[in-house]
Amino acid sequence: MSGAAVYLDFAATTPIDSRVADAMHSCLSPGGAFANPASIHIAGRVSAALVEQARQRLADLLGAAPHCLIWTSGATESDNLAIAGAAGLRAHRGKHLITMPTEHKAVTETFRHLEKSGYDVTWLKPDAEGLLAIDELEAQLREDTQLVSVMHVNNETGVIQDVRRIGEICRARDILFHTDAAQSVGKLPLDLSEMPIDLLSLTAHKFHGPQGIGALYIADRPGCKVLPIMHGGGQERRMRPGSLPVHQIVGAGTAAGIARDQMAADLLHVTTLRDRLWQGIQDVSGILCNGSFDHAYPGILNLSVPGVEGESLMLGLEPVCAASGSACNSTSGESSYVLRALGRNDALAQSAIRFSFGRTTTNDDIDVAIERYRWAVDHLRSIAPLHSPGC
Amino acid sequence: MNATAAYNEAVRRHFADPQHAGDLQKDHDLTLVADVSESAEGAHIVMSAGIRGDTIAAMAFRVRGCPHLIAALELACRILTGQPVASLENFDSANITQELSVPVEKAGRILLLEDALAALWAQYVSIED
Repeated sequence: MSGAAVYLDFAATTPIDSRVADAMHSCLSPGGAFANPASIHIAGRVSAALVEQARQRLADLLGAAPHCLIWTSGATESDNLAIAGAAGLRAHRGKHLITMPTEHKAVTETFRHLEKSGYDVTWLKPDAEGLLAIDELEAQLREDTQLVSVMHVNNETGVIQDVRRIGEICRARDILFHTDAAQSVGKLPLDLSEMPIDLLSLTAHKFHGPQGIGALYIADRPGCKVLPIMHGGGQERRMRPGSLPVHQIVGAGTAAGIARDQMAADLLHVTTLRDRLWQGIQDVSGILCNGSFDHAYPGILNLSVPGVEGESLMLGLEPVCAASGSACNSTSGESSYVLRALGRNDALAQSAIRFSFGRTTTNDDIDVAIERYRWAVDHLRSIAPLHSPGC
Repeated sequence: MNATAAYNEAVRRHFADPQHAGDLQKDHDLTLVADVSESAEGAHIVMSAGIRGDTIAAMAFRVRGCPHLIAALELACRILTGQPVASLENFDSANITQELSVPVEKAGRILLLEDALAALWAQYVSIED
């Protein structure tokens, strides 16, 4: 990290663990495993063995069989493959799909693309805390429903959906259930051997692995398959063509192993940090926690305050690196669609700051964030109009 | 990589310490106040000008908006204080936009400053008439 930046944007990406970097470096060094793992010669077989070792480590993290994991470029590709691939495979049975407007854009935009292609998509609204009402899901299921996609942990609010219950409901009706677990894999316990999840998207850079490598879990059960959305060679069970990036896969596998070993300690650590931050700013006048506090991954805390503008709040926060609820450079100043779906007005959604922390965050980092947040809110309120609409 | 490229030094300085932020003392011949908003929940400016004779004796502003807008208001107040009231008419923010290196996608936000000054001028004209 350059300068004195205080990095509290772990939901966007995490710093690579030094052990992960070392493992990747060993592949990239002279004499490393550079060969194409699809090659049948000795060098290729060395690479292939490393790829399968990494797949096993990731499978161990998830409680999955290794052959159920398909390497991809990240969660966005996994989401596209899962949703478009499952919808395409089952189109002859029906074209009704269900998701939520609070999903990541990798999911919402894929569903919107399918809508334009003739699919009927039901968008289930969350309650004010960001949670899906299970009875509402049940009420919307139809004879022709083929796929439900609901994320595990929301990337903006940290809200955790009851994916076990959703999966049970879907499985009882032979409907495929996909979850975008980019924010939960490596952070929250997930045992796919006993959870009714058919398709699960993940990416390594959210748990201290490298960017550019992810996976799609496809349950090994009848009817649970996807059509490929890319065409080329026969890699990854013919579902995802392309030469496998060995060093990135080795990094992902190493990160998965570390996450498995440290998950309990990491979870306790981020809970302590979240509580310290909240204790330090909860008395700021009008402050609101966006999304449920109790049903959320504690590594994310999303806050709004009336009377301040998000981009100015971000600048006032420096040197803290957090995420804003507004599209700062947009002429429209468009605010977070996730927060608006929770019922926040534009002004509150624009003032939102998402703090997210992880393994390497310290108490000192949190104390800097508390000091800067309080200063920025006080400063911006001191120069704001005394009566502003929307606040 | 230039980590500070989004905001130049002038923006940072005026953002952190806007000398003209606040309200005017009511000790002028005439105090003009303009209240303009981008939208119901967007940027919001309350701008004041204290007039003595035909001169802008003092200016102040309140704002809820982005750092570029805060800095632009501060600069406008500095430029206009001590100038003839007629300077409010057709104030061109081009120099301010350039000094603050305002990105093109934010041009609309800076126009709100011109709207506030135009409103002050219109108020002055209506009172003088």
